[in-house]
Amino acid sequence: MSRAESLRITGGAVHDPANGVDGEVGDICIEGGSIVAELPSGVPTLDAKGMVIMPGGVDIHSHFASSSCNHARRMIPDEHAMDPAPAPRLQQDADGAPPRSGTGGSVPSTFTTGYRYAGLGYTTAFDAAVAPLMARHSHAELDDTPCVDGGIFVLLGNDEYLLRQIEAGERERARDYAAWLLQSTGGYAIKIVNPGGVEAWKTGQRNLTAIDDALDGRRITPRAILETLADAANDLRLPHPVHIHCNNLGRAGNAETTLASMQALSGRRAHFTHLQFHCYGGGDGKGWSSAGPKVMEYVNAHPEVSTDVGQVMFGPAMTITADAPVEYLLHKSSGRRWTNVDIELETGCGIVPLNYKEKAAVSALQWAIGLELFLLSSDPWRVVLSTDHPNGGSFLSYPALIQLLMDRAVRDERLKLANPKLLAGSALADGIAREYSLNEIAIITRAGPARLLGLRKKGHLAPGADADITIYQRDPDIAKMFATPRYVLKSGTLIVEEGQLRRAPTGRRLRVAPRFDEAVVPDLRRHFETFSSVSFANYPVGDLPGDPMPIG
Amino acid sequence: MVEQVTCLGCGCACDDISVRVDGDRIVEIAPPCPLGQAWFGDGTVPDKILRDGEPSSLDEAIAGAADLLATASGKVLVYIGTDLTTQAHRVALAIADLLGAVIDQATSDAAAAGLVAAQGRGRATATLGEIRNRADTLLFWAIDPSTRYPRYLSRYALEPVGTHVPGGRRGRTVIAVSVGTDRAPKEADLRLALGPDDEIAALSVMRATVLGNTLGELPERLRQVPDVARRLMQARYAVLVHEAEPSDERRNPHRTEGLIALTQALNGPTRAALSSLRAGGNRSGLESVLTWQTGYPLAVDYSAGFPRYALSSRGLLQVVQGGFGAALVAGSVAALATDTITTLARTPTVVIGPRASEASLGSKITIDTGVAGIHEAGTAYRMDEVPLPLRPPLSAPRSATGALSSLLAAVRARRARGT
Repeated sequence: MSRAESLRITGGAVHDPANGVDGEVGDICIEGGSIVAELPSGVPTLDAKGMVIMPGGVDIHSHFASSSCNHARRMIPDEHAMDPAPAPRLQQDADGAPPRSGTGGSVPSTFTTGYRYAGLGYTTAFDAAVAPLMARHSHAELDDTPCVDGGIFVLLGNDEYLLRQIEAGERERARDYAAWLLQSTGGYAIKIVNPGGVEAWKTGQRNLTAIDDALDGRRITPRAILETLADAANDLRLPHPVHIHCNNLGRAGNAETTLASMQALSGRRAHFTHLQFHCYGGGDGKGWSSAGPKVMEYVNAHPEVSTDVGQVMFGPAMTITADAPVEYLLHKSSGRRWTNVDIELETGCGIVPLNYKEKAAVSALQWAIGLELFLLSSDPWRVVLSTDHPNGGSFLSYPALIQLLMDRAVRDERLKLANPKLLAGSALADGIAREYSLNEIAIITRAGPARLLGLRKKGHLAPGADADITIYQRDPDIAKMFATPRYVLKSGTLIVEEGQLRRAPTGRRLRVAPRFDEAVVPDLRRHFETFSSVSFANYPVGDLPGDPMPIG
Repeated sequence: MVEQVTCLGCGCACDDISVRVDGDRIVEIAPPCPLGQAWFGDGTVPDKILRDGEPSSLDEAIAGAADLLATASGKVLVYIGTDLTTQAHRVALAIADLLGAVIDQATSDAAAAGLVAAQGRGRATATLGEIRNRADTLLFWAIDPSTRYPRYLSRYALEPVGTHVPGGRRGRTVIAVSVGTDRAPKEADLRLALGPDDEIAALSVMRATVLGNTLGELPERLRQVPDVARRLMQARYAVLVHEAEPSDERRNPHRTEGLIALTQALNGPTRAALSSLRAGGNRSGLESVLTWQTGYPLAVDYSAGFPRYALSSRGLLQVVQGGFGAALVAGSVAALATDTITTLARTPTVVIGPRASEASLGSKITIDTGVAGIHEAGTAYRMDEVPLPLRPPLSAPRSATGALSSLLAAVRARRARGT
C-alpha cells in the first residue's frame, strides 16, 4: 500500500470542514494522487479506526526557502551543532531523490525542513518574503526541500520601479509590472513588507510609521502603495490577495497603524499577516498593552480582511524580515548579532536571533496577544495559524500552540508562568473560556489557509482534491497528538507510516503567471539598463518546474 | 555572438559580456577585460575519459568511480571546485553526504576568517547594485579593486549613475586607506596610511568615534583616524570596500571583524554597508549551497552521518596528513596547493570536471567536463550572493552536472546492492 495507485482509508473520523464534515466516520478513496468518490472493492486499505483524518497542513506564512533564511542559517552554527539531523531511513526506490542529512535549529537546512514539515503532517508551505532578485535562489532551495508543495511570495512595495509608477499616477502600469514580476520570478502572491518603510531605511529617513507619512521628498505614502498593490492583486485575479506586513511592526501603539491600513483597504480583499506583531497598544512613553481585542473586533466585522496570527512561542527564535529598520532597533535593544542586507532597487533584509522568555514582560504580552486574537476570532476561516516561522517560533511549535487553543487548563497554567506586568486588564488575563474544536483546528491549519490562498485542490477531502492527508492517533495530550501524526500522505503516496518518515517525494511548485500588457516591458528594460546590476535578460528565472496555476 | 553572458573571471560576475564564437572557439569578448580573457580563453577544453590512464567509456568510468569511492578504506575527501554550476555543486554534496565524506573547497583562509567573523557578529552589507545606486561615500580599506576586480569601479561602485547618485563619480567621495603595502585607489578625496600593526587600533578608534565614545590622547600616527570616521558619518550611504581574499601584506586576522563592527556602528548615525570582494568562479555559490544543505558555509564533515562544522580540521589540512582512503575532486584542481596535489597523487582519486584528464594527481579515473558558464548552463553566484543564470557560448564535451549525477546514481545502486 506504500505507493499504491489506489488506496481506501477506512474507519477514521474525518475532519473536512470545507465540505461540512465534522468528525463523521467515513472512507477516503485515493487514486492517482487525488481523492476520488469511489473505488472498486479489493483495493488496498489503510485502517484508520479510532484515528482522526484531516487534509494535509497548509502553511500560509513561513520563512524557510530564501536568501534571507540562508543568511540566518549562516549565523547559527551553534544551533545547527546542537540539532544534528541524520538522513532518514527511507523506503524509496533508487530513482527517487536520495535521503539527506542536515541540521536543525531555528532555521533548519532545506532537506531537514521538508522532512520535519512532513513529520508534522504539513504538505504545503509558502515562503512569505522573497526579494525578486533572489527568486532564483529560493527556487533552488525549494528544489532541495522535499515532501511539501511550495511557493514564494515576492516582495513589492519598496521597489523603485513601483514607487516611480505610483508617483506618476501610473496604476495600470504598476499592475502590469506586478504581473510581469510574478511571472518572471515564479511567484505565487504579492507580498508587501512595511510599505515604503524599507526604502525609507535605505535613504536615511529610517522608517515610515503611519500610512500617510511621505517618503523623503517624494509624493509616495504607504497608503498609496497599499491601494495600488491591493488593486493590482484583485484586478489580476490572483488566487491570493495582497499579503501585507504593515508599517510599524513591533512598536508600542502600532495597532493604530494596523487599523488605519485595514481601513485604507476597506472593501478590498487583503490578507494582513502575523497580526500579533501589529496589535500593540500604548506608545512612546506610555508603555505597552494589548490592542488584540480592538483589532480583532475590526477583523470580525470586515469579511474582506483575512489574517494569520504570527503567534509568539516561548523559546529560541530567529527574526528574519525584509523589514530591515525593525531589525536594527531589535539589534540595538537586544545587543544581539545582526545582519542587514540592502537589496538593490527592491527591498531589504534584517536578521537578529532572539529568545522569547516567559519572564520578559514584552514577550509575555506578545504571547498573550496572539492567543487573544485566536480566541476572540469569530471566523476561523479568516484568522489562521502561523508563528511566522521562525520569527515567533519554529513551525515545530505548532502542536504546542494547538494545545494552547484546545486546552484551557494547559493555557491557564502557562499564563501563570508568564510575566504579568503588562497583562493586567488584558482579555487573556481576565479569562477566555473558549477551547478550539478539532474542526476549528482543521480550519485554521489547512482548510482556511488553502481557501485564503485560492488552492482549490488543497485543504479539503472531496473528490478532485490532492490526496494530501494527515492521520492522527487520538491522544489526551493534544500537543503529542499533533506532533506525531501516525500517517501522512502526499499526493497519494504514504510518506509517514507509524510516525516514521518513509518516503520523501519532490513537491510541486505553486506559482502563477498572470497576463500583462507587454507595453510595460520596454520601459522596464530601460529602468534595468539604467539602474540594475543585472542584465534585463538575465533577471527572469527560467526552467521552473511544472506549470503555473490557472488564474481566475 | 552570444550576448548577456556571465563571466566568472572574478567575483564581479559581470553578466553583460558579448562573446564572439568562431566554430568551436571563442575569438573575442567585449568589453575586454584581462580577467575575462583569462577566464574564457579560447574556450577549448580536453574531452577525455580515462581509467588508469587508458581511454574508457563513460559508463565504465562511472562504475569504476563508484566502486573506488564506495569501497575506500578510510574516509573519503570530496573537494569541490569553483568552476561548476550550482546545480553541479548540489549533486557533489549529495554524493558527499551519501559517502559520509569530508568536504573541502577553494574558500581561502582569509575569506573563511571573514565568514566566521560574520557568524559571530552578523554584518551589514548590500548587493552591488545598491552600492551603485546609493553610495555617496566609498572607503577602500587596503584594496584597489582595479587589478583583481577590473570592472568593480566602473560597473558597480564609483562611476555609474545611481538612483540616489545622479552625478555618478562626481556625486561620490572616495576615502583611500592603505595598510602597509596594500594600497587603496590612487584617486581619492581623503587618504589615510596605516602600518599593519595599527589597523586594528585604527578600526577601534573609528568605531569609538562613531559611537560617540570618549577617546584619550591618540598617538601621532592615529591622529587623523577620527576625522576619517567623522567623514563616514557625514555620508548619506557609506560603503566600505575590502579584500576578502588573501593579499600581499600580512593581515591581522581581526581585520574583517573590525570592519564589520565599524560598518554596523555606522548604521546608527547614517546608513552603511560592507562590500567584501571575492575572487572568481562560483565560490559564493558553493558556500550558499553548503549553507542551505548543511547549515555551514564551508569545512563540512559528513563522516558522523550528519554535517559537522570542522573548521579546525578542514579536509585539505587532513590530506597532507594522509588522512583519506579515496578522494573525489569535482571541478578543477587549479586552486589546490602543491603539497595537497603531491599527497593526493598517493590517494586513489576520481576527478570529474574541466581539464580533469590533465590533473596531475595520479588519478585513477578522470572525466573531462565543460566549464560553468562557458560550456554549461545553470546558475552561479556573484560575490554579493546574487544568483545569476549562465548562458554558455559553447557546447560541452559533457556536463559536469550530468557526470556527477551518473556517479551519484551509481554509488546509490552500489549501496542498494550492499556490495
